[in-house]
Amino acid sequence: MIPFILRRLTTLVPMLLAVTLLVFILMSLAPGDFLTPVKAQRDINPALIAELQKSFGLDRPWYQQYALWLGNVLHLDFGYSWTYKVPVAQLIAQRAPATILLSITSLLLAWTLAIPLAVLAAARPGGWIDRLTSAAAYFALAIPEFFLALLAVWMAARTGWFPIGGLTSLDYDFLSPAAQFLDIAHHLILPTLVLGLGGVAGTLRVLRANVLDVLQAEYITAARAKGLSEKVVLFRHVLRNALNPLLSTIGYAFAGLLSGSLLVENVMNYPGLGRLVYEAFIREDQFVVLGSVVVACSLLIVGNLLSDLALAWSDPRVRYGR
Amino acid sequence: MAQPVFPIALCALLLLSACSPPPKVSRQTHPLPAGVDIARSEIGRSGGVFIDSSPGEPSTFNPLVSEDATSGGFIGLFLDSLVHNNAVTQEVEPGLAARWDIAPDNRTFTFHLRPGVLWSDGHPFSADDVLFTFQAIYDPRFPNRAAFDLSVDGQKFKVEKIDDLTVRLTTPQIYAPFLETVGGVGLLPKHELEPAFRDGTLLKSWNVSVAQKEPQRLLATGAFRLRSYQPAERIVFEANPHYWRADAQGVRLPYVDFLVTKLVKDANASTLAFATGQTDAEGLSPDNVAWIDRYASRYGFSVFNRGPSPNTGFIWFNQNPGHDTAGKPFVTPYKLAWFTDRRFRQAISHGIDRQGLVRGVLFGRGQPLWGPETPANKKWYNPNVTQYPYDPARSRALLAEAGFQIGPDQKLHDRQGNLVEFTLNSNQENQLRVNMATAFKENMRDLGITVNLSFLDFGTLVGKIQDSYDYEAGMLGLTGGGDPAGGISVFSSKGRLHQWYPNQKTPATPWEARIDQLMSDQLHTLDYPTRKKYFDEVQKIMSDETPFIYLVTANAYVGIKDRWKNIRIPPLGSLVWNLDELWTPLLTP
Repeated sequence: MIPFILRRLTTLVPMLLAVTLLVFILMSLAPGDFLTPVKAQRDINPALIAELQKSFGLDRPWYQQYALWLGNVLHLDFGYSWTYKVPVAQLIAQRAPATILLSITSLLLAWTLAIPLAVLAAARPGGWIDRLTSAAAYFALAIPEFFLALLAVWMAARTGWFPIGGLTSLDYDFLSPAAQFLDIAHHLILPTLVLGLGGVAGTLRVLRANVLDVLQAEYITAARAKGLSEKVVLFRHVLRNALNPLLSTIGYAFAGLLSGSLLVENVMNYPGLGRLVYEAFIREDQFVVLGSVVVACSLLIVGNLLSDLALAWSDPRVRYGR
Repeated sequence: MAQPVFPIALCALLLLSACSPPPKVSRQTHPLPAGVDIARSEIGRSGGVFIDSSPGEPSTFNPLVSEDATSGGFIGLFLDSLVHNNAVTQEVEPGLAARWDIAPDNRTFTFHLRPGVLWSDGHPFSADDVLFTFQAIYDPRFPNRAAFDLSVDGQKFKVEKIDDLTVRLTTPQIYAPFLETVGGVGLLPKHELEPAFRDGTLLKSWNVSVAQKEPQRLLATGAFRLRSYQPAERIVFEANPHYWRADAQGVRLPYVDFLVTKLVKDANASTLAFATGQTDAEGLSPDNVAWIDRYASRYGFSVFNRGPSPNTGFIWFNQNPGHDTAGKPFVTPYKLAWFTDRRFRQAISHGIDRQGLVRGVLFGRGQPLWGPETPANKKWYNPNVTQYPYDPARSRALLAEAGFQIGPDQKLHDRQGNLVEFTLNSNQENQLRVNMATAFKENMRDLGITVNLSFLDFGTLVGKIQDSYDYEAGMLGLTGGGDPAGGISVFSSKGRLHQWYPNQKTPATPWEARIDQLMSDQLHTLDYPTRKKYFDEVQKIMSDETPFIYLVTANAYVGIKDRWKNIRIPPLGSLVWNLDELWTPLLTP
C-alpha cells in the first residue's frame, strides 16, 4: 500500500512542472503586467517603477523568472503576493477555510440527498419517486451554476430571506458565539444549494443506474432468497456495491467543487479562495496565481488518491501494491 | 425536500438577533492631551455605527507599501500626519503639529508637535516618531513612493530633532508642495516598528495578515483604530480612545463608536448596497443618480451633487517622431505631419459636440472640459483657457487652411491626396468611455474623417502608450486635482505621462519648452499667487496647443443617510471629509 501511495505522489512532480510552466508562459504572453496600473498613475516616479520592476524580477525574461521561482519552491517558498506583500502560502491559508467549508457542505448536501433518493428511485423504477427525481435532476443539470447563482442572489434580494452574499453579517463581531454560528449557517445556505445542486443531480443519476445494475446481480437474488428484509438488501448489499464507481469519482468531484466555487464565489460575493484567485488573475499577481494552480493540481491528485484508497476500503476485491 | 422549514426557522432566529439594539459600548475614558484640538463644528452626541462599502480590498495597512487609493484611504483613518490638507477649503491645517514656522529662506520648516498626544496603546507620541518615519522612508532597503515625493531632484530633506516636541525639516531648495506632501505622510510608531526596521522586514509589517490576526498592533494616532479585518468581508474600525480632538464641551471625538466597511467585489455591488439601505454613504456616478434617487425616501438618504469631478477625459494623437528597433516609424510619416499640425488638432476639437456628449452619455450630469484641470480643483483651476465650441464650419475652415480638402468621395484628403483616417484606441472596461468614442466617431464622419475604433484591454493600451508607441490616437482619462506638482509627469516633456510624446530628451516644440520652464518655476516658490500665475499659463498653453483634446467632465455625486449630522462633503477626495465630527441622534439605523 505504502509504495503505491508514494508512486502516486511522485506523479505530482512532472504534472506540477508542466502545469506551472504553462501558466508562466501564458501569463508572460498576456498583455501588461502587475505594474501596468501603477504606470498609468500620474504622480508615480519612473525611478520607483524601475525599482519595483527590479525587485519583482519583472525586468528579466520569463524563463529566468520561472527558474528563480522553481528554485524557491524547492525550499518550500512559494513566493509572496505582490499585492498584499504576504507569503502566498499564508494568503491561501487565510482564504482557504471559507472555501473548504463551502466545499464540504455542498459535498455533504450532494451525498446525503442523492444516496437515499437514488436507492429509493431505483427500488421502484418508473415509480413516482423515480419520475420526480429524474425530472428534478435533469432540470438541475440543465441550469449552469453561474445562472443558478445569479438566480439565488436575485431571490435573496427580492425576498430578504437570505443575505445577499458574504459569509457573515456586518454585526458579526458583536454577536454571541451561538448567534455567530447561526449567522454563518444562514449565509451558507444559498451558496451550498447553488454549488451542491448540480452534484446532487449528477450523483443521483449515476447512482440510480448503478443500483439498477446491481439489483440484477445473482447475489442479490440469493440475499432475497435467504429471506433478508428488502431494507437490508437495498442498503447493505446493493448500495455498498453500487457506491464503488462513485467513490472513484469523488476525487474529481472535490477538485471540481473548487473550480466551481471560483464562479459561485465571485457571483455571490463569498470570501474564499475563488475570489482571491480571480482577483490575482486580473491583477497578474503572478505567484498567487501559481500558488493556487499548485494547490488545485495537488488537490486533484491527492483527491484521486484518497478515492482510490476509499475504494480499496469499501471493496475487499481491490488491492494495490503488486 | 426538507429544506424550506429549516431556513424559515433560522430566519426567525436571525431576525430576533438582528433586531437587538447595537451593543452598549463603554468607551475607555482617558484625560484629553494638553495639546487637544477643539473642533469648531456643531456639538453632537457620542455613539452610533457608520457603515460604508468599498469596491476594493486594501492590499496593505503599511503606508510604505501602499500604492492604491483604497489602501491609502484605510491607512489615513488610523495614521495621522503632521498637517492635514483640508479637502473642502484646499488649505493646509494643523494635524499632529499644532503649528509650524517657515524660516525666511523658505526652506526651513519648524513643526511644533501637540504636547500630550498618545498612541492608541498609551505610549507618548514624540519627535522620535517623526524622525523614525523619515528614516524609514529614506532607507534604500525599503523602496517606497513617499521617498520620491519627499525629495527634490533626488536630494532628501534634512530632518532634525530640536527637542521632544519640535522637529525641523529643511528642503535642499525651495519646494512648493512641501506642506501638502508632508500632510500625506502618516507618521509611524517608533516603539512598535523599530525591530522590523532593524532586521529589514519593515515592508512586511502591518500587512493584511497581521491586520487580521493582531489588529491591535496597528497603532493609531488618528480618529480610529483597527478593531478587526476579515478579508473580502469587512473592516471594523473603532474610536481611538487617545484621539487628540474634542468638541467644545470637552467630549472626545470621534462621536461614532464604530466605522464598518463592507468589502464588496465591484462598484456595482457597492452602489447596490447603498441603494438598498445597507450602507450610510456612497459615491455615485452620474448614470446611477436617477434610479437611486427613487429610493431616497424609503431608506432615508439624500443625494448631493458635489459638482464637477476632478476626472478629465481626453483624446490625443501620437506625435512621437521616433521609430522602433527595426527602423519602422511609430507613426506613418504623412500622418505624423497631420498630428503635429496644431490646426488639425484644433479642427478636431471644434468638430466634437461636447454638449451632445454631456446630454447623451452623461445624462446631462456633466460639463464640457477645455483644459487640464476641472472646476473641482478650485484652488488651481483656470477658467480662462481657450475653448473650442462645437462648430463644424470652423473645423472645415481650419482644415482647409492646413491644406486638407474634401475629395469627390466626400471624404477628407490631405495635400498629397492621402485619405484622412486614423484608429482611436481606448480601453474596453469603461462603458462611458466606449460610448464617448462612438459619439466621437460620428462627429468626425461629419467632417469626412474616418475613425476606426479599437477597444483594448487596459494593460495592452498602457503598453502601447508607454512602451511600444505603435498607435495613432488614444482616449483615456486622468484624475486631476490637487497641487500642480502632481501633474509634472503629464506636462513636462520629460514626463512619462506626456502621452503624445513621452520621455523627450529635449523639448520638441517651443511651447513644450515653455511649459517645462513654467512647471519648474512654480515648483520653486512658496508664493501662491506666483505659482497660480505660472500654472494658469500652463493650462492656457495646453488649451491653445491642444496636445490633449479635452472632452467632458462628469459631475460627482454622493448619497448620505439623513440621520447623520455635521456632514461636510468635499468637492474631491473622500466622501466625507470630517468623519470624526459626524454624529447621529438616531443610534439604530
